[in-house]
Amino acid sequence: MLLSDVYLWLAYSCVSTHKINRLLENLSATELWNSIDGDTGKYSFDDRTLSALKRAHSLDYIESVKQYLSANNIEYVTRADPLFPEALAQSEVDPPLVLFYKGNIDIAREPCFAVVGTRRASGYGKYATEKIVGELAEHFTIVSGLATGIDGYAHGAALNAGGKTIAVLGSGLFNASPSSNLKLFDEIAKDGLVLSEYTPDTHASVYTFPQRNRIISGLSKGVLVVEASEKSGSLITANCALEQGRDVFAVPGDIDKLRSVGTNKLIKQGAVAVTSASDVLDFYGIAHGGKKAAEKAVELDFSETRVITELSSGDKSFDALMESCGLSVADLNSALSSLLINGLIRQKSKNVYCVTQQA
Amino acid sequence: MLARVNSYALNGLEGYGVSVEVDIHPGQPRTEIVGLPDTAVKESKERVRAAVKNSGFDFSAQVVTVNLAPADMRKEGPSFDLAIALGVLVATEQAGVDDHMVPLQTLDDYVFLGELSLSGEVRKINGVMPMLIAAREQGKKKIVIPRENANEAKYIRGIDVYAVGTLREAIALLNGVEFKPIEKSDVFLNDRRGVAEDLKYVKGQYAAKRAFEIAAAGGHNILLIGAPGGGKTMLAKCLPGILPDMTESEALETTKIHSTAGILDPEVGIVLHRPFRSPHHTASKIALTGGGANSHPGEISFAHNGVLFLDELPEYPRGVLELLRQPLEDGVITVSRAARSVEYPANFMLVASMNPCPCGYYGSDTHECTCTPAQIQKYMSKLSGPLLDRIDLHVETDEVHYDELNSSADAESSASVRERVNAARAIQTERYKGTGIHSNAKMTTAMIKKYCVLDSAGDRILSSAFDKLGLSARAYTRILKVARTIADLDGKETIQSSHVAEAVMYRKLDKAGK
Repeated sequence: MLLSDVYLWLAYSCVSTHKINRLLENLSATELWNSIDGDTGKYSFDDRTLSALKRAHSLDYIESVKQYLSANNIEYVTRADPLFPEALAQSEVDPPLVLFYKGNIDIAREPCFAVVGTRRASGYGKYATEKIVGELAEHFTIVSGLATGIDGYAHGAALNAGGKTIAVLGSGLFNASPSSNLKLFDEIAKDGLVLSEYTPDTHASVYTFPQRNRIISGLSKGVLVVEASEKSGSLITANCALEQGRDVFAVPGDIDKLRSVGTNKLIKQGAVAVTSASDVLDFYGIAHGGKKAAEKAVELDFSETRVITELSSGDKSFDALMESCGLSVADLNSALSSLLINGLIRQKSKNVYCVTQQA
Repeated sequence: MLARVNSYALNGLEGYGVSVEVDIHPGQPRTEIVGLPDTAVKESKERVRAAVKNSGFDFSAQVVTVNLAPADMRKEGPSFDLAIALGVLVATEQAGVDDHMVPLQTLDDYVFLGELSLSGEVRKINGVMPMLIAAREQGKKKIVIPRENANEAKYIRGIDVYAVGTLREAIALLNGVEFKPIEKSDVFLNDRRGVAEDLKYVKGQYAAKRAFEIAAAGGHNILLIGAPGGGKTMLAKCLPGILPDMTESEALETTKIHSTAGILDPEVGIVLHRPFRSPHHTASKIALTGGGANSHPGEISFAHNGVLFLDELPEYPRGVLELLRQPLEDGVITVSRAARSVEYPANFMLVASMNPCPCGYYGSDTHECTCTPAQIQKYMSKLSGPLLDRIDLHVETDEVHYDELNSSADAESSASVRERVNAARAIQTERYKGTGIHSNAKMTTAMIKKYCVLDSAGDRILSSAFDKLGLSARAYTRILKVARTIADLDGKETIQSSHVAEAVMYRKLDKAGK
């Protein structure tokens, strides 16, 4: 009996990882496999756990599970395998028994950094995520949860920057959600890693997402929360990170916005405030190139120069620009458009524009 | 004795001649109408009996048989009343009969249309304009219509139209009393009395106003996205004021439909400005496309040559919205029912408005959105790709701030915007002469290749826009068409890079990856 098969058995018994980890404090996994059919009185199992363990307790069943996984191109790595990410093996993490995955598991053993946040991201959140992750991805594997909003932006920005990224699911691999991110799922499975501690057919439920958050933080050296409301799941990830001894970072936000309450609170509690990727890199003492060589200067025409000048003094809406620039609507529109395309300005929120920080 | 009187009926928008034959012979008194009459036609015998009696004639007890030929077409509505009453009077030798008691030859020269009241007055009917046009084409020279419909006849040349107010007047006309036909007049199409709102009262919203100008100039469909209270509906209501003037043939086409449906203003008698139809989102499929047992035209046909405004677009049932796809492409709708199949023109400009999410504040700077991502996705998914594909311009409206509301400065008025729109349309009319289309929005792929050539600077802008802003492939032709219109507004022969850059700004939903 291979130890990895024993772990696969435990994973497929569907008993919670936490409970099994408690059991394994007193006896080894192999002992558990051998003794489960005999006298179990001394282990004080409750009946449900015992019957769940017994149900999956068959060599034939484990064999069929292995066939099923390989037939569906799902790979797995158990705690007994050398490939298992050592960061997750620490006892504070409540280590998962088995990780089911698609993609390249090696990147989970490289330095990882988690970027999480609200599903209801604002334009500001998107901008912050893309800007910070784009640079961090050169030094870290970016870990996140494949949700809409910040998670999705973080994965996307990492892929765009040619970096590595890991998506940790709160469901089995067959039931990834939301459907709008399935394309992203495929891209990550191809170039990065998608993993889950749940058996592939598991559906997401209320408790799977918080449990999954401990893996996101567990894999990573630190967790950056970009936008989070007061009761956001991202704060659970930040809490996990603290319990596991990881570092917590947060992007400060407007004090009057609900989706910044969580991040601002984290900063008050001692999280590192992050306004650019270098804040994170400096924290870990990672040398970084600083500013890239200045991009080839774009030649601006009269109206574009006018718009840039106006925006330098602060963010402005289209209507405000209209009144202060003295340009015709047509000229203003085409100036804004070409500035957007050249990346000199960006749309901060609906119809509000600001100058891109050249950092 | 037998009498035959000419009348007209409608099949869809096409009029056809109906010959009303009345036969009277002694027997058990009864009145019978044959020739596939509907209920309104069947009831006509009661109206005719009372009207004849109350006009001072005799309708004594005899067998009256009325046949409406051709007998295999279904006849609707009360417009045969006048013809039937005259038939009865001629057959009973009370009117239109010469000294030898033979029906007057002149009876055959006339066509009679009109509903009767019990007192003998002639009442207004629907569909006079298309019937007049059909009668003229079939060589009829004289036609008698209700006086209330007189205005509709003013613009149809080449046929003498007489308006009568009572059954007695109609008989006087038949018997040679001198009547003047309705005087013809020219169509004056720059009349904007019906326009409710003027752009000069819209504060701020420069981007949206500019988009409207482009949409009006090129006939592009447009989608407004914005928070509640941002003025989307008000902006849309300004649109009729800046639309290009109608041509005479356009006005007559639209009037035909409105006349058939009975929604024509009897005071004017013609549709003078482009129609603006805004059906509520509870409207049924049939109400929108037309149909029903009698294959009536629907809202999209009422909006022919004008604007169909769908406020709160995602609130419309998805099935209803998908119906718009084919008319948006072809400009006509074919309503097929078991009994018959009718084609109605439906060449309209679609203007739609929507909130960015169910609560309305997604992406807002001043309010927090309270919707969950799943709600937003569900809301947006009501709009199918193929429908969005047919909308050239997407615009976000701003929330209006108090100091803007308070400012007393008037913005540019609709009239001066319309001048530019008309100029741009004139260029398009010239360009598309003889191709069957009138605006940039209707360009075919071959025309896009021919008329939307980009110089290298424009090409560079477009390709980097695709790269940096993540535009979808379907945005490509839309941007080219809109750029063509912007160039036309600018009075430029070739599309310049600034025109392309501006056109890129109107693809909000593509940028969002929807």
